Amino acid sequence: MSQPSTVPIRSLDALPKKPPAKWTKHLWGYLFLLPAVVIFFLFLWMPIGKGIVFSFYHIDFVKGDSFVGWENYERVFMDPEVWVSVKNTLYYMVLGVLIGFWVPILFAIAISEMRRFQGFARIAAYLPYVVPFVVLYGLWRWLYDPVGPINALITKVGLDSVLFLTDKAWSMISIVIMETWQSFGSALLIYLAAVLSIPRDWYEAAEIDGAGVWKRIRHITLPAIKNQIVLLFLLQLIATSQGFQTHYALLDGGPNNATLTYALLVVRYAFTRQDYGSASALGVLMFLVLGLLAVIQYRMSNKKEA
Amino acid sequence: MKTIDRGILSDYDLKKPGNKIIYYLMMVVVLAMVCTMLYPMFVILFNGLKLNTEVNSFPPTFLPSEVHFENYQKAWSYIKLPLFARNTLFIFAGNMVMTVLVVGFASFSLSRMNVPYKKVIQYFFLLTLFIPPTTYIIPNFVNLRDLGLMNSFWALWLPAGANAFFLLLLKSFFDGINMEMFESGRIDGASEPRLFFQIAFPLSVPIFATLAIFVFSSAWNDWYWPSLILSSDDKYPLATAIYKYVINVRRLDLNLRFAILSMITFPPVIVFLIFQKYIVRGLHLGGVKG
Repeated sequence: MSQPSTVPIRSLDALPKKPPAKWTKHLWGYLFLLPAVVIFFLFLWMPIGKGIVFSFYHIDFVKGDSFVGWENYERVFMDPEVWVSVKNTLYYMVLGVLIGFWVPILFAIAISEMRRFQGFARIAAYLPYVVPFVVLYGLWRWLYDPVGPINALITKVGLDSVLFLTDKAWSMISIVIMETWQSFGSALLIYLAAVLSIPRDWYEAAEIDGAGVWKRIRHITLPAIKNQIVLLFLLQLIATSQGFQTHYALLDGGPNNATLTYALLVVRYAFTRQDYGSASALGVLMFLVLGLLAVIQYRMSNKKEA
Repeated sequence: MKTIDRGILSDYDLKKPGNKIIYYLMMVVVLAMVCTMLYPMFVILFNGLKLNTEVNSFPPTFLPSEVHFENYQKAWSYIKLPLFARNTLFIFAGNMVMTVLVVGFASFSLSRMNVPYKKVIQYFFLLTLFIPPTTYIIPNFVNLRDLGLMNSFWALWLPAGANAFFLLLLKSFFDGINMEMFESGRIDGASEPRLFFQIAFPLSVPIFATLAIFVFSSAWNDWYWPSLILSSDDKYPLATAIYKYVINVRRLDLNLRFAILSMITFPPVIVFLIFQKYIVRGLHLGGVKG
């Protein structure tokens, strides 16, 4: 970020009266930065660095750490659960896009068209976001119960009841539905602001030129919010690739590892098997994969612009 | 919100029957969405007022057939909510102080004090955004253990200052403050901390209010990480305590469970409904720039 304000400072300092020594001039500047540098180092960079080191060690809190070379990585690659968790995480990311990603876009456009009660619809959509996660776990366990309200509705319609949480085919879908319900409101607010800031005369002009409603949405509304769509898409992919808390709290990775995500497996390696070294190795591998994807994406978007 | 004379559809469009059907269909979909949003909210409230047998009945009822306020009394004595709420507020207050002092000072320096090697320092902070949390969650735990911070609020307070996202938000806000104010302050002989506390901080109240919302909602919501670091009742925040003693317990009656859940759901919901105008505006301020 460029600083347009550098010029006045320089000219002030150039006043001939008192040329301050360089270190006193910037003393306060560095003093202000010092706490953040220390904190970032201690609580972000040090763990990151330690993670790389730990991935080559066997960590033992009692007897002390011992160097084991590539053993942790070998163990991780031989573990079939790792591949299951990779598959589940990809499945979770895809489901998140299929079930959840389009919902806030659709509702943002619909709500922006409302002539009345727009504010009310917006607040209602955002409301679940204010509810603590732990409450959601209790609530949705009851909603998804085999004899809960959703199944009551399904059986009333005449379908078979669904074991939302304990059926392997449904458990991941149930989690994604719950998370979409909880969090689409925040994305909705961002889309809605973008949709409402589109100049009205664009639609006016399109209408005069004979463009129908769908054409107006396709050629005006969606292109106008393209930036938000791309940004939130990337943010959602990043967030879902790290997800594990809901899977842990609702099902602990079950049934039969159907909701075991990669991050949950990392946590399981560390706190169930007490194997902090292999857990760190899994963390490093995730960093490498995501870093590689980021580089590829960066290259591709640069090529497109060139 | 400004009045809308037209959206994608104009008034003329709405007179055409085809469009009219689409419009009303859309409204029905939105209405259905609103209902699915509100229904679980009322479920939490009403299930807390039912008899346990009614919560477990099939098909489930929506309104309680008889109201049992004594559930709340029982729920209140089941779990020490005031203690856990106090811990949550402690954590929030400490995190907020760290955010203002550490992140605020640093972003002020980066934005307004023009120190040499500023770019390098900035990268030192911002590169942390590119490292996935899964990578350092376990080493972070071991690191805090090595530093001897286990079961202490400091294990949550100190790392609260290491937030590159907040740093970015604050810095871009400070960048927008008029430079001349600081110049005149400097000429009048104000020290740099004074410039921060008497000019930058008061002018940045909106962005600090937004950060306060973020910090509060994470203090109120986070249950997993505190459950790893803290290990005694006099330290657990509300969310962790609820997870440990309400969600993860099989024996507790469902109606009491919902009574407790409604007690911790409705305070933030009510605060949100009262201040929603400011909160939504603030979130927007934070969301768009981030």
